[in-house]
Amino acid sequence: MFNPLDLRNKRFIVTGAASGIGRACALYLSKLGADLLLLDLNGDQLTVTKQECSTSVITIAIDLTDSNLLRESILKDVETNGSLDGMVHCAGVTYISPLKMVNEDKIMNVFKVNTYAGVELAKLFTNKKVFRNQTGSIVFISSVYGIVGSAANVGYALSKGAILSMTKSLAIELASKGLRVNCIAPGFVKTEMAEGINSNFDENYDNYIKSLHPLGWGKPEYIASAIAFLLSDMSIWITGATLSVDGGFTAQ
Amino acid sequence: MEQFLEQMAEILEVESVNPSDELESFDAWDSLTQLSIIALASENYDVTISALELKSAKTIEGVKKMIESKK
Repeated sequence: MFNPLDLRNKRFIVTGAASGIGRACALYLSKLGADLLLLDLNGDQLTVTKQECSTSVITIAIDLTDSNLLRESILKDVETNGSLDGMVHCAGVTYISPLKMVNEDKIMNVFKVNTYAGVELAKLFTNKKVFRNQTGSIVFISSVYGIVGSAANVGYALSKGAILSMTKSLAIELASKGLRVNCIAPGFVKTEMAEGINSNFDENYDNYIKSLHPLGWGKPEYIASAIAFLLSDMSIWITGATLSVDGGFTAQ
Repeated sequence: MEQFLEQMAEILEVESVNPSDELESFDAWDSLTQLSIIALASENYDVTISALELKSAKTIEGVKKMIESKK
């Protein structure tokens, strides 16, 4: 049966796989047959994700801001467990802070996790030991707040806005290697991270956020299915694109 | 207390504040200012307060006491 979403015999990296969108993505890709290399700071929760997957899964508990360790760990893994067909960088941290309380160290950490770790991971895919096929796919996760503005969000927004331009730049640079580079700009998704933000606001906040999404709040699976599309050959002629998966947030 | 008052004055965009000043009396008292105070509590005092709790503090001194009670 023709099924271009069949990911059997493919292997992908998923960062941030211990929770939220990253975990949902790992489970979704596994259901489609993909083998996985899962990365996250939280090793215990990574193991939980692994146990829920049905394919071959390797986990590495790692600080993604440690570029040298990241490189060493992935090169070591592919030697033993096989090279890769693509990756998705789901790991991310939020930083709600009005401008006057913005802190340099915090903003730099947000940038390193959300954005720069993706650059280091993409760099690894130019290594022939890591990237095994003639075609491959890299997916980054931006945000509606990489596209439109919101108050008290400058740190997060700059990290997610940079992903849009980084996606286009790397799409051009890596096209000749057969690597496609795209990003998804999700709306608000019900995850532990979003619940953490909610606690900073009053009771009207939840209703306000819901009103921004004509299709209602998102679920992690809604982003996972879009990631699967961009990793699969379904999107074989798509590169440098930003796919809004936001329940209509930015259509308004 | 003095350092806290200076920090609150900066957030509330006034030259100085008194412990008894009511939070709602400041022109700058809005959701962004509330977020700034929540961030101040988190970053400078390692204390988590919610928006609802902050509103219930009523005064500058109330905020200080709330932060101290959570330490």
